[in-house]
Amino acid sequence: MKQWKLWAREPLLHFAALGALLFAADHLLVGRADDPRHIVVGAAVDAEASQLFKASRGHAPTAEELAALRRVWLDNEVLYREGLALQVDKGDTAIRERVIFKALSVVDANVKLPPFDDALLRAWFEKNRSKYDEPPRFDFQEAVLGGDASEAAVRAFVAALNAGTPGDAQAGLRLFKGRPHANLVQSYGAELAQTLEAAPVGLWQLVASRDGPRALRLDAVHAAQPAAFEPLRGVVLQDWTDAVMADQRSAAVRTLAKKYTVKFEATAP
Amino acid sequence: MSIHFSRTPLALAALAVIGATSLATAPTTATAAGVAIAKTPGKYVAGDFHNHTTCSDGSISMQKLVQKATVQWGLDWFVQAGHGGSGNRNCTLAEDASLATPAYPLTAQGPATTWQSSTPAVAPKGLVSGTAPSQNMWRWQSIQEFQYPLIEYLSAYKNVPLFVGIESVVAGHEHASMSVINGQIPLSLDTATLPTSPVIAANTSRYTALGNATALAQWEYCFDRNDTDTSRGNTAVGSGVGNNWNCSVTGSLNAADTSWSATAQKLMPSGSGVGSGLGTKGHLKTVEAIKWMKENHPTASYYVPAHLERAGPFNADGNNGFNVEHLRNFNNAAPNIAFGFETQPGHGASSDRGEYAVLRNGYTGSSTNVDSVGGTTYGGTGVYGAQVGGVWDALLGEGRAFWFFASSDWHNRGSFGPDDRRSTQDFQPGEYQRNYTMVRNGADKLRPQTIVNGLRTGNNFAASGQLIDRLGFIACASYPGLAARKNAAVEALAVAAATHNTDIDASECATMGEKLIVRPGADIVVSIVVRDPAGANNSPYTFANPSLLQVGIIQPLNAPVLDHIDLVRGLVTGYKTPGAADYAGEWPRNTAWLQADGTTTGLAAVPAAAKNTSAAVIKTFNGAGATPWVAFNSGVDNTGFLKMTYRIPAVKASQYVRLRGSNLPASVPFETDANGNPLSDVYTNASNLTRLAIPCTTVHTAASQFDGCPDHLGVKTGTTQKHVSYDVAAWADLWFYSNPIFVQVRDSAVVAGVR
Repeated sequence: MKQWKLWAREPLLHFAALGALLFAADHLLVGRADDPRHIVVGAAVDAEASQLFKASRGHAPTAEELAALRRVWLDNEVLYREGLALQVDKGDTAIRERVIFKALSVVDANVKLPPFDDALLRAWFEKNRSKYDEPPRFDFQEAVLGGDASEAAVRAFVAALNAGTPGDAQAGLRLFKGRPHANLVQSYGAELAQTLEAAPVGLWQLVASRDGPRALRLDAVHAAQPAAFEPLRGVVLQDWTDAVMADQRSAAVRTLAKKYTVKFEATAP
Repeated sequence: MSIHFSRTPLALAALAVIGATSLATAPTTATAAGVAIAKTPGKYVAGDFHNHTTCSDGSISMQKLVQKATVQWGLDWFVQAGHGGSGNRNCTLAEDASLATPAYPLTAQGPATTWQSSTPAVAPKGLVSGTAPSQNMWRWQSIQEFQYPLIEYLSAYKNVPLFVGIESVVAGHEHASMSVINGQIPLSLDTATLPTSPVIAANTSRYTALGNATALAQWEYCFDRNDTDTSRGNTAVGSGVGNNWNCSVTGSLNAADTSWSATAQKLMPSGSGVGSGLGTKGHLKTVEAIKWMKENHPTASYYVPAHLERAGPFNADGNNGFNVEHLRNFNNAAPNIAFGFETQPGHGASSDRGEYAVLRNGYTGSSTNVDSVGGTTYGGTGVYGAQVGGVWDALLGEGRAFWFFASSDWHNRGSFGPDDRRSTQDFQPGEYQRNYTMVRNGADKLRPQTIVNGLRTGNNFAASGQLIDRLGFIACASYPGLAARKNAAVEALAVAAATHNTDIDASECATMGEKLIVRPGADIVVSIVVRDPAGANNSPYTFANPSLLQVGIIQPLNAPVLDHIDLVRGLVTGYKTPGAADYAGEWPRNTAWLQADGTTTGLAAVPAAAKNTSAAVIKTFNGAGATPWVAFNSGVDNTGFLKMTYRIPAVKASQYVRLRGSNLPASVPFETDANGNPLSDVYTNASNLTRLAIPCTTVHTAASQFDGCPDHLGVKTGTTQKHVSYDVAAWADLWFYSNPIFVQVRDSAVVAGVR
């Protein structure tokens, strides 16, 4: 017994025992993991290949066609694994984005929508009402000048328009009803939106846009209208869902990020 | 002694022959003015010439597709044209009893049955590939022995104008729609007594045709890139039994060409990788293919590159797309055959509209993929046709007869079966896009020759979603003085034409595909009459168009309203000279055109060869202003039409005018820009859910997928919101394009390509 106690205190024994444990654990874990040199062409491959074949050809593959599909799948799998081994995926933004997308899908699958009721939705609606309030809208016309659309030509055309020349006297007249600010910015640029929205009603003006000067006339401004919750409940529910899910998704990613040591380097001047 | 050529378009066209280093031959361009030839009466008839069946990679039989095209969707004429190459399915076998006919009764074997598994069996000929009983039959054999007899029989049995064509897999490029109609649908079929029972014999069609598609079959054998058979159209290589075809072209290198195969008796370009020149050799073979058509079937064939932007720019070492110079080379080789392009592709409901996509194509020697030319479609049309001042205008600006066509490219409905109304891939022929072609058949029925003649004339417009179904588009000369032509007089001609679904035959007036020869100083009076058909179109969706909803317009998707028509004008400056700097040039590739933010770089980035900067919208017609378009009811059938007229004052230079129109006004977010041009369809392509931009908010009822946004729409990444995509994107965004009317001004450039 004394002898055993002595042996039990022997550091060499501790080292050997720990080594054996580690070896066993490693063998167990690696043995369970996929062997990168072991490829199984099985039912899952057949099912996918058959589905794709049927979608394009309208019928299930014959045995020979399936054999050929398996061969193609195997060739691709070999190339895929060799590619990974060669790390050809590194630095490829398309692959990176695809992997990010798939990882995000996994995260998405684990986020859960909290319970909600109308009071909660209504509160969220009020907090975000700028999104739902009817924005001011603008009725305006554009008299299009054919050919020379220089600033001088547009300015002369504007003068003629204000003197009574019809708006479609040149290349045509475009009427726009109820266009919001965002639409003006997207289609013409912020400069035009700002100028047009502040323009006097009923007067043709030369207005600079990102594509050059245009002959425009503001016809009416429809004031902003506050939105009501009830008719928008369905839309609000969808938007609230998207917002909550996005918050939860971000939180989940931030949690994952805690595993990493992140060093922010100074921004290059 | 030196020979001097004047720099007239005709001389340049002739120079094209001499200087094209075998790429180009002379356009037949002689033009004489003023001799009025009475037109044979005709009507605009709707058709489709690019679609697929189980003969190639389509999902339904020939019988079912003919039924869909001519009955369900009501096309007036139909060309069945699957891929060149080969296939192992017996596409004469139909799906169900509703498709059975006396000569082709329903059997226990469906359209998925292979040729060799058929009862009785059919043996593929030539250099056969695959493993029995699924060996492939070369397209030349299936056309010659099986497809054509079935089409001839259906044409006679159903009394509908049908013939067979091919979507050829093009040497040096991607695909082209073509046919050689010699032998097809003979006059004797009119009085033939059709059999009341099938022929049942091995290797034999159920019906014995009176005509034949041998000419088309030979072309397929000789020139399709995917036809690698070397048998000369015989039972086996070296058998000497069969067609014994030889693919040589008079005056060409033929056997002296290094690509010539003595066994196959045809050009078989080979090679791979950088420096192989595979694309260039292939292109030369395709020019030979067009020359062969010109030599052997000069008025009975056509060759129209299909979805020609899809596969990216031309690749000298591979098989990608077409640049402007290749279209010029084709048109120079045979202007009466290579007379246009399908720049409005099919696959309109695909996750990438038209199957055009960013970084879609591998490209020899490039570590990154290349975009379809233009990146995406623009309102469903490729950038070559959609961009004002782009490739189409460059070709028209030379005075070439080069026409705009659309096609269905039907294969399948993606996630849905062929009888569903929804689609995430294609529309059936006539369901969404249609070519309306003036066919001058007089009192005769529609026949392949008059249909091909109609396509060749360019008197054709293409419309999606039945946005319009009638168009009268004419231009007349008006000289100052007492005899000056009044706008109203010209408009009356257009009204008469459109309401009778025909065109005009008046002196000093012209319509699509024609040219008007005038003295300098003439006014050109352009009159347009259209019918935006009342009632529902073929869209199954009854909810409000989400694209228009963005700008406060509530309009059901299945009841589109024409918003405006643009009159586009470009100047004609004559043919480009092969070899000159402005003859060839690639459209800006990838982000050099379609940038990451979805905007385009503009024509400044386009090489001179591929643009015509004189082209511009000179007039927009709509219901606004002091002289809006005028609605009226036809005196013929009381249906509603719109009429409008514009006078181009005192022309001094040769030019052309063409039309486009849409259900979308200018400045519709993610659809049109401030000038009414179609934006890139990147915002409605579901292949990239992060970029979807137009919410689809109408909720459908539990009982219907059609009264609200259907479940298959793309959901924008990170949201639960369905967005405009797939078929809804197509039905939301409709366009029509006319072909041009040329105006040749004396002492200005000659419109050399148009008689």
